[in-house]
Amino acid sequence: MTATPDAMTRAPAVAPLPAVLVPSATQFTLSNGLPIVAIHRDVAPIVSMALMIRSGSAADVPEQAGLASLTAEMMDEGAGARDALEFADALEHLGADLWVGTGRDGSQLSVQSPRETFFEALDLAGDVLVRPRLSDADWHRVLSDRRTSTVQRRDQPEAVVNVVSDRLLFGDEHPYGRPVEGYTRTLDRLSLDAIKGFHARFWRPNNAFVVVAGAFDEPALRARLEKALGSWQTQPVESSPPVPPLPPRPRLCIVDRPGAPQSVIRMVAPGTDRLSPDRPGLAMLNAVLGGSFTSRLNFNLREKHGYTYGAASSFAFLRLPGSFAARASVFAESTAPSVREMLAELAGMHEQPITAEEHAKAQATLLMRVAEGLSTTGGIAATFGEMGLYGLPLDEPNRFVAALEATTADDLRALAARTIDPGAAAIVIVGDRAAIEGPLRELGLPAPVIRDADGDPA
Amino acid sequence: MLKIEFDTYTLANGLTVILHQDRSSPLVAVDLWYHVGSKDESPGRTGFAHLFEHLMFMGSRHAPYPSFDAIMESWGGHNNGTTSNDRTNYYEIGPRNLLETFLWLEADRLATLPDVITDEELERQRKVVQNERRQSYENRPYGAGELVVPESMYPPEHPYHWPTIGSHADLEAATVSDVREFFDRFYRPSNASLAIAGDFDPDQVRALVDKYFGWQPARPAPERRPRPAPIQLAADVTRTLTDRVQLPRLRLAWHAPALFADGDAELDLAAHALGGGKSSRLYRALVFDGRIAQDAFAYQGSLMLGSLFHVGATAKPGHDLAEVTAAVDAQLNRFASEGPTEEELARARNTHLSDFYKGLDHLQTRADLLNHYQYVLGTPDGAERDVERYRSATTASVRDAFARVLAGKRLTLQTLPEAARA
Repeated sequence: MTATPDAMTRAPAVAPLPAVLVPSATQFTLSNGLPIVAIHRDVAPIVSMALMIRSGSAADVPEQAGLASLTAEMMDEGAGARDALEFADALEHLGADLWVGTGRDGSQLSVQSPRETFFEALDLAGDVLVRPRLSDADWHRVLSDRRTSTVQRRDQPEAVVNVVSDRLLFGDEHPYGRPVEGYTRTLDRLSLDAIKGFHARFWRPNNAFVVVAGAFDEPALRARLEKALGSWQTQPVESSPPVPPLPPRPRLCIVDRPGAPQSVIRMVAPGTDRLSPDRPGLAMLNAVLGGSFTSRLNFNLREKHGYTYGAASSFAFLRLPGSFAARASVFAESTAPSVREMLAELAGMHEQPITAEEHAKAQATLLMRVAEGLSTTGGIAATFGEMGLYGLPLDEPNRFVAALEATTADDLRALAARTIDPGAAAIVIVGDRAAIEGPLRELGLPAPVIRDADGDPA
Repeated sequence: MLKIEFDTYTLANGLTVILHQDRSSPLVAVDLWYHVGSKDESPGRTGFAHLFEHLMFMGSRHAPYPSFDAIMESWGGHNNGTTSNDRTNYYEIGPRNLLETFLWLEADRLATLPDVITDEELERQRKVVQNERRQSYENRPYGAGELVVPESMYPPEHPYHWPTIGSHADLEAATVSDVREFFDRFYRPSNASLAIAGDFDPDQVRALVDKYFGWQPARPAPERRPRPAPIQLAADVTRTLTDRVQLPRLRLAWHAPALFADGDAELDLAAHALGGGKSSRLYRALVFDGRIAQDAFAYQGSLMLGSLFHVGATAKPGHDLAEVTAAVDAQLNRFASEGPTEEELARARNTHLSDFYKGLDHLQTRADLLNHYQYVLGTPDGAERDVERYRSATTASVRDAFARVLAGKRLTLQTLPEAARA
């Protein structure tokens, strides 16, 4: 028997946290005014580029939901001298990834490639931005695939709960009330002309921001960016229409999935916008509630009760106020007790005020999340790209770090009292209605509204 | 010459230590591999290696539950573990000031876990894992199909006959004495390798490893079952399932050479040429031009005792699996006889190498790769050897490796929408 050394018997002392290292960035503009931020990093022999467009699915009108997203999807279906297959081949030959996608507030063209082929990949990106083919044959194929994927979305309970909870929270007329990918029925109203129109109106250098991170050849970067993107023409970008108020929302909604072995639970409530001064505090508050493994929600539902593989919460900080959501996928037979515990944890943010330990944990967690986000090439591009999307200055990471360090436990308690309202949440559940409705009613919840996978009355 | 810089040494008790310094961020990653996976489980206890991984977070003598997570999260660290057929890994990522804490926590659970584990903790994690099974397979479209591939491809006595997640019945049957026995057999310093990556001083870290792991008793590496001979299906197998899905999906599987065996890298490249991108042969024939499928895929699932080569496609509305299967077979047969073009091979190789470089960007991925080479090749110094396999593949070697796989018997797994059951 080996004796246990003394050092094993207690936790080692821990020195203070190291400072977060924010990489230094170079900023310049191309001849067409396109702003560029470049951050050199040579840990891996790769380069990441994020080109952000400040218009996303929020720019869609309700009856054409999916337009922004299909525009992005069409842009790399052939560009410049290459048709769709030739274009895909050229990228693969360079070992480069290029993808074009859309979120609520913005669209994005991203490139990741080995450093040796980055400038060639950049030229292909320039073709996508300035010279996409947007051909009729590709459009019919892409539209058909999208229509099928919106049908397949009904198979995925996590995707269904996203669609239905956003629709109930924001309403049909609100820019965030519909799925980015659209509904099957709205896709039928789209045309290639609409795609061309969206591209012409929003994909403009004066509506864009570029981050290049990684092991690029520094002396050549500016000239190669100018060559690839300098001919991109500016045009005034229209402003957004006024935003309708949020509609009243039901307390309980069920999307029936007969025989489902799990219920997917989502509690949604109005959130806060990206530029709100509350954001650092809310991020910390969320770390306590459901933003880390030892958070209250996960500890209660997973570790204490074994109801779920994981419970979490998050704020979506968007250009307009976004949402707060708490979520868990639970044993079907644990649905009602899980809802009860989740509501209790939301109420607990008032009744059991955030402790000094929870405050310290939230602070360290968020600080190290910033440090980790800035520790990879892709993470640096994503961090600075998001800043560009919301027009934030380059010292935003430093400001965020300073704000986290300045937020006290009392600040968090006051913020919880002001922002977390368990009674305000809509509870959306994708699960076996016959098995879960009765026990949910016994919790004192009202009769549920019943929706289908698109959020239509069922 | 591709190299991930490292130092390696072995403690007197057999623990392999791998150090990889990177001071570009104030972070460290600790990545600990135990050479045990679901292949080492006993009949009636499938899913146990993975369930055990969950129990490793249930506290140790000097860090009682829930201190493992609570201590590291209080300083902004985080952690996880993963279990495959072949191995189990545990990792922690966090600020450099947490390195000693990470080592202490890992060392304490290696030294004391079986002394403190309780029935109640086992019961709680059993429920968590059963939820994981439901979330990852049973309530996920086409997930139920994934669970029947192993049992269809491997005979009952083969270590790959069951899925890593196990069966509900076996998870229910697991006891605390199983936990102690499993720990005793496989959780030994000589059956593990510890990779530490990030912002540290090498001399300090050696002293810390010695302080927390050096005292732990030496025990021989666990006895292993003899490595099973490579196997083939005796006859083609067809399985048909129904699931909560809108569209039918075809999935094919063949036996293929093991990880790092001759042909393994070629089959990765073949998979890319067949199902990797927009102009891959299956995607082009079924999705892009043929428009009979919504997606098409191919991949080489490389494992130590033998791999599976997978191909699949999901039928578009109005098309059925007979049509999809015929179109897939036409492409596979053609590829087996002609192999890739030089251009297809170049694209597949460049894409593979580029993905490899991207992996090197992330600290813990590098640590994990060093451990992977240590386990499979017996040395962390495997990057160049690994990559060279892809550089030296030829159109003929890819064709031949693929033709050999395709000549074997196969599994045809059809997942149909529930409505089609009647």
